[in-house]
Amino acid sequence: MSKETTIDLACENICKHFSDFTAVDNISFTIPKGSFFSILGPSGCGKTTLLRMLAGFEMPSSGDLLIKQKSMLDVPPNKRPVNMVFQHLALFPTMNIEENIGYGLRRQSVPKAEIAQRVAAVLERVGLAGSGKKRVDQLSGGQRQRIALARCLVLNPTLLLLDEPLGALDLKLREQMKIELKLLQKEFGTTFVYITHDQSEALVMSDQIAVMNKGKFEQVGTPHQLYYQPETAFVAGFVGDSNRWQGNIESQDGTAVRVSTNDGLSFKAKVSADKTVNAGNSVEIFVRPEAINVSRTAPSEQTDNQLICQVETILFDGAKSQIIAVEPESGGKITVTLPQTSDFANLQNADTIYLNWSAEQTLCFADNPDNRGGV
Amino acid sequence: MSSLPATSPFKLGMWLLLAPLCLWLILLIILPHLELLAFSFTDPEQGSFTFGFYQEFFLEPLYWRTFVRTAVMSIMATILTLLIAFPVAFYIAKMLKGRSKGIVFAMCLIPFWVSELVRTFGWMILLRESGVISNFLQWSGLSAGPVELLYTDATIMLGLVYTSMLFMVVPLVSTLDSLDDSYIEAGYDLGGTNWNVLREIVIPHAIPGVVSGCIIVFMLSLGNYLTPVLLGGKDSLWFTEQIYTQFITRFNWEQGSAFGLLLLLLSSLIVWAGLKVSRQSFAKTMG
Repeated sequence: MSKETTIDLACENICKHFSDFTAVDNISFTIPKGSFFSILGPSGCGKTTLLRMLAGFEMPSSGDLLIKQKSMLDVPPNKRPVNMVFQHLALFPTMNIEENIGYGLRRQSVPKAEIAQRVAAVLERVGLAGSGKKRVDQLSGGQRQRIALARCLVLNPTLLLLDEPLGALDLKLREQMKIELKLLQKEFGTTFVYITHDQSEALVMSDQIAVMNKGKFEQVGTPHQLYYQPETAFVAGFVGDSNRWQGNIESQDGTAVRVSTNDGLSFKAKVSADKTVNAGNSVEIFVRPEAINVSRTAPSEQTDNQLICQVETILFDGAKSQIIAVEPESGGKITVTLPQTSDFANLQNADTIYLNWSAEQTLCFADNPDNRGGV
Repeated sequence: MSSLPATSPFKLGMWLLLAPLCLWLILLIILPHLELLAFSFTDPEQGSFTFGFYQEFFLEPLYWRTFVRTAVMSIMATILTLLIAFPVAFYIAKMLKGRSKGIVFAMCLIPFWVSELVRTFGWMILLRESGVISNFLQWSGLSAGPVELLYTDATIMLGLVYTSMLFMVVPLVSTLDSLDDSYIEAGYDLGGTNWNVLREIVIPHAIPGVVSGCIIVFMLSLGNYLTPVLLGGKDSLWFTEQIYTQFITRFNWEQGSAFGLLLLLLSSLIVWAGLKVSRQSFAKTMG
């Protein structure tokens, strides 16, 4: 019972069909109160349609949508306890900041004095006290972002929807706003539903992420689960970087399998939730570059997977630098993270490196050509 | 001289490009008006300076009353046109998408391919005593005898609104088109009703289009000659008719010139007052 009341949003078998395609295909999920829920997916996966249904701008073709156990199907957008931060923020250019934030309060017939006081309070909380008289175009991108949030949060919505609001910002500011958004969400305690195609935004900010592809949720879980235990090949490919090979299963022993890849490498891998893999089946395997141990001398211990490779290229990107290495016998390529230790400071092309990693970190999924979206 | 070789060809080019505009302005706008100005202040018999023709306007009630009537009816026509055109423009700009949008917009334009004279005769065919509507009313038994619908102020108003509609719809459609749908959605999302969204978001955004449309429609109505004369008949009492009478019937070019300039002056004054009231600047509206 107590668990029931803490659910803010519940979607039950939501579908949305347009004349020629299905944008949202039978999705069900619940969002607990006060959490930061992200929907992550490539463009065109239906995430915007789903969000617009939550806001009330689109009607689901079938299914139900409950906010605090009340069906929202017959409630128009202006009556829902839901507010939205639009992709381009949609701050009204004909009003100043104060009027923008006060717009929603005026709709609720809040007395003027109280509006002024609540607007000032929310401006203070987003760190922009005193800028109420400014015009929208006098603010920087990050400040506008915060005003758009304040305009919604001042109404104390049950649910705040965010439609890729960080997309228009430059990289540095985006990094900063990610942290700021997370902090504001914690401070206000409002339930956030955030949609994005940027996995880093979703991983950094969210309590729960739903990875969406072709109108369906591939997996719902914590950022940790999605990263370490992807349930489908799409999630493995979409969340984080991965080395990705197509291959065939040579032998199988429970969840442990041996796979030979199409370019001639052979790995020990682990079959995850996917249980339909059999010997001889065509599969895809994923290994994260950062899961691979790199050393310049041959390791003394035996591990599940070992390769002796030559450095082909070093892609220098500070802490995120990567080595593209080639296995000389097969010509197969593999990307690994460049360790920032002194051993590797003078690493050069054509140097020999020893790679090893465990079967646990080699994920194997049945090959499904339909799912090769990702990356 | 050798210090300016780079800029002088550019300047020559600029003047050549400006030449048609300058010629048009000087020959067709400025010169005729200077001529009118000279006419209106000259006593034709003695050739001396006189205020008499302007005095005549204020002393003869028929003249200034006609002017006031013209101005008031033009303002009313402008307001009516705005009230009718706004929903039409909103429908075209915001409700319709893609192909149907182009078709409906074209349907607004097509009547204007026919000359104003022919269109006005069209109204006369409908409205005259032996016209379509009168015949229909008699046939259906709603009226015992022929009904004359022409030659009333209401008919003039109908004609003016009909003639001006396009010039209001076009600027409104273009400003409303530039209003991103997300502003309207945000207006609803934050709890606004249709009326709130219209008043606080759509109308403030559309103001430049409203003002420019109103200026065009007002000027067109004030300077219209055909519609009031054909639909209003002899008693239409439109100010341009007075100017026509002075020039053509009475051969009193001096009086006609004075009226012409007064029309220009007074209409500019009304537009200026309108801009003041709506707190808009001319530059903002045109820019």
